[in-house]
Amino acid sequence: MPGGRVCAACGCAEIEVDAARGDAVCTGCGSVLEDNIIVSEVQFVENSGGGGAGRSARAPGRGLQGSAGKTPTLGGGFHANLGKESRAQTLQNGKRQIHHLGNQLQLNQHCLDTAFNFFKMAVSKHLTRGRKMTHVIAACLYLVCRTEGTPHMLLDLSDLLQVNVYVLGKTFLLLARELCINAPAIDPCLYIPRFAHMLEFGDKNHEVSMTALRLLQRMKRDWMHTGRRPSGLCGAALLVAARMHDFRRTVKEVIRVVKVCESTLRKRLTEFEDTPTSQLTIDEFMKIDLEEECDPPSFTAGQKKLKIQQLEKALSKKLEDFEGEISSYQDEIEIELENSRPKAKGVFANFTKDDSIEDTTPGFPREEEADEELEAAANHLNKDFYNELHEKDGGEKREVGEYKNGNEALVRPPALESLLGPLPTAASLGITESIKECISTNYREPGENTGDGELDLSGIDDSEIDRYILNETEAQIKAELWMKENADYLKEQKEKEARIAKEKELGIYKEHKPKKSAKKREPIQASTAGEAIEKMLEQKKISSKINYNVLRDLNSKGSNTPKKEDDSTDDSTNTKKLSRRKSIASRNIANPVNSVGKRLRPLISTQLAKKAATEEVTFPNAQAEASDVEKTAAVLVESGPVAYNPDEEVEEEEIEEDDDHCMSALQLMGGNGELGC
Amino acid sequence: MDADSDVALDILITNVVCVFRTRCHLNLRKIALEGANVIYKRDVGKVLMKLRKPRITATIWSSGKVICTGATSEEEAKFGARRLARSLQKLGFQVIFTDFKVVNVLAVCNMPFEIRLPEFTKSNRPHASYEPELHPAVCYRIKTLRATLQIFSTGSITVTGPNVKAVASAVEQIYPFVFASRK
Repeated sequence: MPGGRVCAACGCAEIEVDAARGDAVCTGCGSVLEDNIIVSEVQFVENSGGGGAGRSARAPGRGLQGSAGKTPTLGGGFHANLGKESRAQTLQNGKRQIHHLGNQLQLNQHCLDTAFNFFKMAVSKHLTRGRKMTHVIAACLYLVCRTEGTPHMLLDLSDLLQVNVYVLGKTFLLLARELCINAPAIDPCLYIPRFAHMLEFGDKNHEVSMTALRLLQRMKRDWMHTGRRPSGLCGAALLVAARMHDFRRTVKEVIRVVKVCESTLRKRLTEFEDTPTSQLTIDEFMKIDLEEECDPPSFTAGQKKLKIQQLEKALSKKLEDFEGEISSYQDEIEIELENSRPKAKGVFANFTKDDSIEDTTPGFPREEEADEELEAAANHLNKDFYNELHEKDGGEKREVGEYKNGNEALVRPPALESLLGPLPTAASLGITESIKECISTNYREPGENTGDGELDLSGIDDSEIDRYILNETEAQIKAELWMKENADYLKEQKEKEARIAKEKELGIYKEHKPKKSAKKREPIQASTAGEAIEKMLEQKKISSKINYNVLRDLNSKGSNTPKKEDDSTDDSTNTKKLSRRKSIASRNIANPVNSVGKRLRPLISTQLAKKAATEEVTFPNAQAEASDVEKTAAVLVESGPVAYNPDEEVEEEEIEEDDDHCMSALQLMGGNGELGC
Repeated sequence: MDADSDVALDILITNVVCVFRTRCHLNLRKIALEGANVIYKRDVGKVLMKLRKPRITATIWSSGKVICTGATSEEEAKFGARRLARSLQKLGFQVIFTDFKVVNVLAVCNMPFEIRLPEFTKSNRPHASYEPELHPAVCYRIKTLRATLQIFSTGSITVTGPNVKAVASAVEQIYPFVFASRK
């Protein structure tokens, strides 16, 4: 508790207090006496509501946190935090936005905290990448609303942000999926109190709400609510409830509150009208609950359509049937006229079995012939073949034709029917044609696949394709038309080119190349870890409070000096923790001592997480204190033989300032070291 | 029981999307001028060519990649794609028909019963997602088949998947779940 008056280590009374860093350091020995000094000042911080709040005690900004500083809470509310990690900044930013939005929605603190947790999870899963921060925040908030069951709609959020609801919805769905959070389904009953309040029913608010709830439940049972926006249903229920209690609420008023379209509301009302519940009087409704449930309205609409279609089908079928009957009468007459072969019955028998065209009954030459013809039919695409068949055993074919319904693919009879009969057979002809095509496509396929990309032209009608290509006059006309249509775009392009040409002339033409996302740094070539760190720090320049030039010089002497990295080396017995602002100081201590020949305690710096701001310096002792050196070398994380050149050090000594203090410190150390060793 | 219902259910394929490459650079301007049924979208750099016989629309890029949509079966898609390549050949380009691949198949199927969507969502938690505020159907994703089904309360189901087989098996898979939540 030397509140900065007397140093505990050296007894020196000269304590320097740095307000910016919140440190109290003894200028004699350099030990840090106090860290994180709480400053009693009044600070005005803007809170999420836009108002100001005074903060009377704060820890000064921790601008020099290294990678160990993961806690973003220190110095929160500041904007001017340098060197703070990007992740911490993102989280802080997110938290601020969540509070801002949440307050507008009147969410309580618990909800906001939960939302912030969701946000943290999202950030750690990199879901914020490529998405607007506001969208992610809104999605987190809506997720909280859903899980808590607050009567907030996605529409409200989109109203606040002026963003398309579906865009927000997409982000929300993704977030819910990635975080494996199952948002419970929204219940329209949740919205009733909110909307009822907005419609200002006064004293009867509660009664109207209850009526509306009952109506909603009825709607649910009548299957009106599946797949519908809950707000639309609420609107309809409230409107009816209001009327039931003698409140004159127009459709327009309800719409404004509920945020649906007028036509939607009317539609819901009509659907409700269709249910049997609508026939009850008000009193009856309050008392009775009808048992039967209705189908969803879209289902009934669909059913109606189906019925109409079926009717049409039935009608057309009947027509076909009649025609079929007529043709079959025709056939029968002709058959009886020409029928002379008793064995034909055998053919029938064979055909009544399923698809027995392949079966060859021995001693039935007709069948075999049929087989051959069938195969031929399968192989040829030519229609003339059908005529051949027709000319041959027309009678038999016709008989077989009657059984066309029983047989399936690869059947000749339908083909003949088409030549004989009217409409219905045309359909069957169509079938066979496509069947042929299918068969031939099967043959085509393997050939094409084995080819090396050559276009197989079979089946492609060239003449038809030729029709797709315009001749010259047509092309000209088309070109003109297109030019007229796209005149605006072409004009824009011309202007752009003219602009570029002008700029080129003037020499100020800037090539707007697509922005490269990251600065490409050259990979650091270094032989030792220390060098690599030094080079990296040179490039990065993390802190403004370190004189890099000096550090670099130090490093050039050949010792390792980690400036801000975590050097988790174990504390050997030889270590003494030093904190320095300028590591040079300690360096200089070494020099005179070295030259004097005193036994130096090698100092190994360790950076402890709690003493984040303190800098500690390593410089292994290159002097041949063999055991010590080896010990410390073993302990040091950064290995690397270090050449400690006393001569150079002596030169440097003259340049440096701060000699006196350092001298005394090291002397002290030297003395203590023997003790502490 | 399932097999019977599968037979009774007819799955209508409404759209098949496929891609192929012509392995040669195409001059869009020439196609636009000489084709009878093309729309030239210069701002995005593509040409839309519509065929009548298999009713398909093809999007042609100058790199030679072509996307073909609107076919009603896989065979038709291939047929249409080949016709298209043929017509490009006739226009004078050295077209080679390679890398034909069916990318997406969209099918519609009707269940003979209605479905309770909130109940269905609850019992199929991670796969099904239902946002009545956004869309009236439940979106059910099958990761193994890479298929997505949109299930409506009327019992109609829209399936999209990488090929016809996947679509058929997706419908088979979903049937028991949907049957469990039927009205």
